[in-house]
Formats: sequence, structure tokens, C-alpha cells
Amino acid sequence: MNQTVVSYLSKYEFYDSLLALFGNNQGVLAFTIYLLLALIIVGMCATIGGLGTYAERKISADLQARVGPNRVGPYGLLQFLADGVKMMTKEDIMPFTADKTLFYLAPLLCLTGVFATLAVLPFSGGFIMADLNVGIFYLVAISSLVGLGVFLGGYASNSKWSMLGGMRGASQIISYEIPVTISILAIVLLAGGMGFGTIVGQQGGLPHQWFLFHNPFAFMAFFVYSVGALAETNRAPFDLPEAESELVSGYHTEYTGMRFGFFALAEYIEVFVVCGVAASLFLGGYNIPGISIDILPIQAVQFVVFMTKTLLLYYVVIWIRWTLPRLRVDQLMSVCWKYLTPIAILNLMGCAIWMVVFNGKSIAELVLGGH
Amino acid sequence: MFLQLLFISSALLTVLCAIGVLMVKNIMHSCVFLLGSLLGVAGLYATLGADFVAVTQIMVYVGGVVILMLFAVMLTGGKDFISRAQNLLGLPASMGNKLTYGVGLLVGLVFVLTNIKLLMGIAQTIPSKMINNEFPSTVSQIGHLLVKDHVLAFEISSVLLLGALVGAAIIARPRKQN
Repeated sequence: MNQTVVSYLSKYEFYDSLLALFGNNQGVLAFTIYLLLALIIVGMCATIGGLGTYAERKISADLQARVGPNRVGPYGLLQFLADGVKMMTKEDIMPFTADKTLFYLAPLLCLTGVFATLAVLPFSGGFIMADLNVGIFYLVAISSLVGLGVFLGGYASNSKWSMLGGMRGASQIISYEIPVTISILAIVLLAGGMGFGTIVGQQGGLPHQWFLFHNPFAFMAFFVYSVGALAETNRAPFDLPEAESELVSGYHTEYTGMRFGFFALAEYIEVFVVCGVAASLFLGGYNIPGISIDILPIQAVQFVVFMTKTLLLYYVVIWIRWTLPRLRVDQLMSVCWKYLTPIAILNLMGCAIWMVVFNGKSIAELVLGGH
Repeated sequence: MFLQLLFISSALLTVLCAIGVLMVKNIMHSCVFLLGSLLGVAGLYATLGADFVAVTQIMVYVGGVVILMLFAVMLTGGKDFISRAQNLLGLPASMGNKLTYGVGLLVGLVFVLTNIKLLMGIAQTIPSKMINNEFPSTVSQIGHLLVKDHVLAFEISSVLLLGALVGAAIIARPRKQN
């Protein structure tokens, strides 16, 4: 059955004393643990999203030989809190002809879709809300709510810029879902399961045990996934839905204050989620080299390992944004349908053939003679 | 207890949103209510232990069908439907009246009761077969069934989908200018 954080904690002795504290009521204890952990994870990821905006400015400043934010707090670290306060105190403007219900709903849909994906993100072996056996499939499915939010936000604003941005966003997200999903499928094929626990468990801590270096097709799948993921999160060079130079600000042109903040936060957290998925699918996830025992302090180290990999990828995403120019819409679609999708399908077939021909062994195992 | 609570809230979400789909006049809002209803159905599947079906429901309906419907409504001018006085059958009001609701309710009741009567017999015999199986999860069970017992149906449905795809491409392609 599905592993969850509760079933993980119940292995330890202190779980029984906790249970006694709750009057031996399994359901209430489980609910409390889920609630606490959900609050922790959402709070943590919202902070990461906030710090993401700071990192974005600071790194872009570095790349352009500027100083960047340096007034609020040490090194300008508290800039994102100041931004949050500013957004909350701003006037909440609603366009007169907007579709009011959908206008309110759209940012919430975006944020809900992103937060729902955090339920299956494997921070460590035990610190994962629910290790569903449909984990990665669930993540791909529920994140389509973000596309819906982008589209409805564009429609409900009843403005030309928003409408164009929303339509671009929806078509882009739906299109790029295909190469991304097929690349993930190649990894599912190697791991023999869709749960994050299975996928990460099949890899090791050292680079030659990662799925990235399992075979040439998986190596290519990583790059197809990365390009597609950039497009799905509307990051440059695929930030056409909010292209400032042509669409003012795209689907969130008409949004002000915290509603705009929700869209921005959703984008930054989604980048984090996408990087986390890349780290656990291709880069060995939370595995620590050479350690296989499972005690609570190890979980903390695993968490650090996962975060290091994810945040390094986060840096690369920001780096790419300030390096590459934006694509045109027709180039965007031809990159997806004429190049990425065929390559992804080739990778999938290649991985399947590799698994049959070499009996599931990776390159390292073939060369070093392990098993 | 929490499972039952989740089941009941999913069921309420499904039914209330389904009523919402019928009741609101704005077709865009109908689509959003439909989204809620479909999510509720996914919740029902999840609480009943069919996790793969639940996620597929979200993937196909929320990620595909609802977005497609919103696109279609928007591109064909969603706002115009609000002001329509008669529907295609010449009946007043855009979404139905007392007569249509009455007939719909009657047909629905008859349909549901017949189905319950028919499915009752099957439901009582199946569980003994399903509880003790050798598969660790529903995913592997579905996978094994799809490529072993039902491989013909699986392949035929892929041909059907390919046909639909080619048909859509032919309809949508730009006409040659003579």
C-alpha cells in the first residue's frame, strides 16, 4: 500500500507514547501529524519562493555587474518580506468589466495546484507527506491546475494583454506537458514504479548510480525534461505568457497587490518543485553516498542532500533566464512539437530496448562488472 | 472516520458542483463548476482505494477536457450565450425550464434505479475475488491486466484515438488557396 509520513513515524518508539497522548485515537494523531507537516512544508516552500525572488534579483545583478537589493536587512536578505508587506497593503484593484468570480478564483487555482504537488515531493526518506505509488503521475496531473489558473486569470481580466497571455500560457503548458511526461515515463520504465520512494530507492548516492548516467537515452531525457520544465513554469527563455516587451505583463497584467503576489509565489514555488523532481528523478534524490542505515539524524542529512541538489538546479534556472533571449511563439511551438516530442519518444523507446538488451544494467555496471 | 469524512465531502462537492453547472447562466462559470464536480469524482475514487483511476481522472478531465472546453467556449464567444432567449429546441431560457428539469429528473431516477438493480448482483460477487490478490498496488495490477488480458482492447482503442487525432488535423489544416 501507499507509504506515508505517519506509517514511517510509526516505526519508532516515540510514536507509541504520542499515541497514548492522543488517547489511543489513531485517526486524530494521523490528522495532527499531517496538519503539522503540511503547515511546515507549505511555510518552508513559501519562504523558499520568497527567497527565490531575492535570489533572482541578486543573481541577475551579479550577471549584469550590478549590486542588487542591499538595503533591507543584511545583504538585502529581508527584501522579500518588505515586498510581501508592500503587496498586502496595496489597493486591491478589480477591472470594471472583469468576470469577478473567476478573477478571484484564478490566483487561488495556481497556488492550490502548486501546493498540492508538495504532498509527494521526497525531501528525505521519511519526510515525504505521502509516498503514493502513483506519485509522479499525481504530480504531473495536479500541476495542470496551474495552467488552468493562468488561463482563467487571462480570461477573467477582460483585457487584451491578459487574454493573449492566458491563451499563450495555456497552449504552452499543455504542449510542453507531452515531452516532459514522456521523459518522466522513460525514468519510470528504468525504476519499475511511479512512486518517488521506488524511483529514488533504485538509485544510489554516487553519480554513476544515478539515472542520469544509467544509459545515453536517460541522459538525453534529462535535458528534454529540463527544457520542457522551463517552458511549463513559464520561465525565460519561454516566458512568452508574460513577455514584458509585447504583452505588458501577460496574464497577470490586471492583478494588483497580493493577488499578483499569489501568481508570482506560485511561479517561484513551481520552479522549486520542478527542480526537486529533476533532482529526485535523475540526480539520485536524497541518497547519501555509502550510508544505508535508517535513523532519524540520517533523515536530516538526506534533507540537506536533496535541498543542495534542488537549489543548485534552481540557480541554473535563474542563470538561464538572465543569459538567453526569449523565443518567438512559432519557434516555441516548433521546438516542442518538431524537436522535443520526437526526441522524447526516441528516448522512451531507447530506454525500453536498453532494459531488454542489457537486462536492466546501467553503463557503470556493464563497465565495472557489478550487478 | 476521516476517510468517511473525506468521502462525504467529495460526494457533496460532486453533487453541488453538478447542480451548479446546470443552474448558473454564464457558460464559463458552468465550466468551472464542472471542474469542481470532476475533482469531486476523483476524490471519490481516491477514498475508495482506486488511486490510479483517481489520478487519471484528474489528468484527463481537469488537465485536458476542462481546459479544452474553456478554450472552445472562449474562441466561440462565451458571452453571447448569456443573452440567448431560446435554446435550440425553441424552449425559453438558456439552460432549461420546469418541463425539462422534470423530465430530466424522471429519466435520471429510472436510470439510476435500473443500474443499482443490475449492478447489485455483480457487486456482491466481486469483492471476494479482489481482496486477496498478489499485486502490491493498483498500478501494477492495471498494468498487468492491460498488457495481458485486455491487450486487444488496449490496442484497438489506440487506433481509435489515432483516427480522432488524424481527423482533427485534417479538419483544422489550412485550406489551399486556388
